[in-house]
Amino acid sequence: MIELVLKRAAWALVVLFLVVTGVFLLANAVGDPAAANLGPRASAEQLRVYRHAHGLDRPLHERYVRYLGALAQGDLGRSLRDDQPVTAVIRQRLPRTALLGSLALFFELCIGLGFGIFAAVRRNSWVDTSVMSAAFVGVCLPSFVTGPFFLREVAFRLGWFPVGGYGRDALDHLYHAVLPALTLAILGAATYARMMRSEMIEMLRADFVRTARAKGASPVAVVLRHAARNALLPIVTMLGLSLPLVVTGAIITEKIYDWPGIGRLAIESIDALDVPMILGIVLLASATVQLGNFLADLAVAALDPRIRAGASR
Amino acid sequence: MRSTRRSDALALLCALALPCALAACSDPRSGPRFAGAHGDDAAPQRGGTFVFHHESDVRGFDPHVAFDELSNMGIKLLFDGLLDYDHELHLVPRLATALPEVSADGRAFTFHLRHDVRFHHGRELVAEDIRWSLERMLSPATASPGVSYFAQLEGLDDYTAGRAPHVRGIEVLDRYTIRFSLREPDQTFLNAIAMPFAAPVPRERYGPDAVEIARHPVGTGPYILEDWEPGIRVTFRRNPRYWQPGKPYADRLIYELNLQRETAFMRFLAGDLDHVHRMTPADRLFLGQSAAWASYRELKPDADLWGLEMNTELPPFDNVHVRRAVGFVIDRERWSLARNRALAPLGQALPAGFAGHDPQLPEAQVRDLARAKEEMRLAGHPDGLPEPVTLWIGEGPTGKAYGELAQANLAEIGIRVELKPVSFPIYLRETGRPRTAQMVFGGWSQDFPDPATFFDPLFHSRAATPTDSTNRSFFKNSTLDALLNRARSERDAARRTAMYREANALVTREAPWAFAFSNIRLEAWQPYVHGYRIHLVWSNCFRDVWLDLPRRRLAQRFAPRPGVPAALLPFGGAR
Repeated sequence: MIELVLKRAAWALVVLFLVVTGVFLLANAVGDPAAANLGPRASAEQLRVYRHAHGLDRPLHERYVRYLGALAQGDLGRSLRDDQPVTAVIRQRLPRTALLGSLALFFELCIGLGFGIFAAVRRNSWVDTSVMSAAFVGVCLPSFVTGPFFLREVAFRLGWFPVGGYGRDALDHLYHAVLPALTLAILGAATYARMMRSEMIEMLRADFVRTARAKGASPVAVVLRHAARNALLPIVTMLGLSLPLVVTGAIITEKIYDWPGIGRLAIESIDALDVPMILGIVLLASATVQLGNFLADLAVAALDPRIRAGASR
Repeated sequence: MRSTRRSDALALLCALALPCALAACSDPRSGPRFAGAHGDDAAPQRGGTFVFHHESDVRGFDPHVAFDELSNMGIKLLFDGLLDYDHELHLVPRLATALPEVSADGRAFTFHLRHDVRFHHGRELVAEDIRWSLERMLSPATASPGVSYFAQLEGLDDYTAGRAPHVRGIEVLDRYTIRFSLREPDQTFLNAIAMPFAAPVPRERYGPDAVEIARHPVGTGPYILEDWEPGIRVTFRRNPRYWQPGKPYADRLIYELNLQRETAFMRFLAGDLDHVHRMTPADRLFLGQSAAWASYRELKPDADLWGLEMNTELPPFDNVHVRRAVGFVIDRERWSLARNRALAPLGQALPAGFAGHDPQLPEAQVRDLARAKEEMRLAGHPDGLPEPVTLWIGEGPTGKAYGELAQANLAEIGIRVELKPVSFPIYLRETGRPRTAQMVFGGWSQDFPDPATFFDPLFHSRAATPTDSTNRSFFKNSTLDALLNRARSERDAARRTAMYREANALVTREAPWAFAFSNIRLEAWQPYVHGYRIHLVWSNCFRDVWLDLPRRRLAQRFAPRPGVPAALLPFGGAR
């Protein structure tokens, strides 16, 4: 197990290094951050002072080496837009995206697993057909379609939720997060529902479930304790892969709902060619993907004795 | 099999029912929530919070550095200058007791300061603050984009080169009196003094830390910065020490940042925002035509200039006949129609309302296909150009829409146009370089209400620079340069207007631009909002806004209950 951890950590570092290098070169090749930040009427002197203050007048390789040196010490640099430390800005925005992502994940699991189990138990009934039709539609609906639809119809027209924004206190934040979280959750919930249904159908046919029934276990206990518990294994893997959603998965949704999280920060930073901030966000995103994959592997190994045995061999 | 089909059909019906049920509810595009408000002649009330928005982010509140519309919206709340503009764009005194005394030769301006002005932190404003602040802005260390507006100040070169500790042309005569002396008369100097670049700041709060200054501004304006969550919102609270008795009226102004146009408009209709100013073409069309909003909106042609900038150093636009042909083939009426009448067609170098603008200008560029073809023949291209030309446009739907309109028009005289959409930073960098961009779709907004604000940066040869050129057509004409230099210092208003009329005719005839339009600004506010009108120099200037609070409470009470079809509610559930 320790060998597995070390190997994955080493690979993660290599991937992060490649990502940082690629994004650093691309972001610096796109345009002049000084002009992007100071606007069309900035004087030549103002542009020169800005470039000098942010080290943009130095050769690219020198900037790259400096960046890597600072990164090794945990310093992500300062934003070109407002000169704030990148880590401080990310720390400010991350809890907001985490709130949105966690709520979305919660909705995905509740809706997806619940309907998946229900459809499997009522297999081939109108309930099953409806759930699977809805799930099929759900996986086809991107957030740039559902987001504006919910915003206009559910928030604006029906008035059930606020029309975008973030709110002012904790409860208000949660209230503002419901609709964007639902937008984010549709795809995941539909995927979980389809997956859970097929896993459950397999499990309900399995010998150990038949044995449980024969031993007189109640139908609810058979479904939840015996079948559903075993059907969760692939779901756990999926859950690990969903971790990036909690951190950086809501770029379009955050933009649609004016949710001031990491996703919107990414768009604002790209608009302003804020290279240190773009790099910070990309680094965070790729680290989260690595971590999510790694946790999924660990969880599966912990849950499935066959995999655990394979890893130890 | 049969039951499965029936269940499939049932599921499909369920799926279709939801959108249909939603569509049966209220129409979101209704009028204001509660319209029965006072007229603007009612006595202003104090209190309440006014919420407004913008689609991008604030860069900072240092008045000596910020030069974007968004930051200036906040700066106008936080800072006052010696002079300001009223809504008719006349210069009026603000921190000065009156307009300045002007010397006989027109080179010196003496200002007397009010005695009752205090900074946000309580200290009194004195003439020395005006000098220190202006010298801070002019210092090379500040790298202010405003320096060029004060280039005529006597002794400025010595000061910026470090040869003198102060600018010779700024003299503090006593505690409340200050005099500015110029090398030669410059009629735009008072306009420069009215810009936020000349706003006084307290020396003890403006150290070398630029970030600290931009984020913790201290001025003499009617509002104080209370809170700033970057990228989200800025909150201003009333300045209790403000020198104008009873003002400002609203307790707080909240500035919501980075709102999308669609969302902002819905939030405005839902009553979350008190003012709306940028919207999608569809929302704009609705708001512009809605009878319910007629009393709470204003349409006003903006003081800006948009068109196709043709690089006069590059073929085929080094030929004046090709440039004129482009000027004559642009169908400005069609452009206006295509943009839902959000533009005022314009065929000359000065927007309406500026001294020198001539509605009857004989040289004006108007749609005339026969004349455009004739110009192409004179240019030696009767059958059009053999090679396509490249038109640089900004990324996004707006730039693309104008690019396509230009493509269609220019095709009529045999000019094929290839669009080159680029991001804003690249657009700025590349189009500001000589011999790079053949043709650019671009525009310019006024800095102050004087024709020099367009001519000097766009058409004077000194504005054609090796990098970051504002003269992006790289037009150089010695006659025009001399005329503009003379007009800038001319003190006789009638002669000055005649000079700018001549400059306008010359530029329009030489056609470095195919002039196309000025935007028409459309803004709306809630019925309980008073004291606001569009100001053509200061975008979204809310310093005098007041709220009719009892009527706002009524409006909120008339909001429909969640989920109840609007038809069942009073006023049709107007939200």
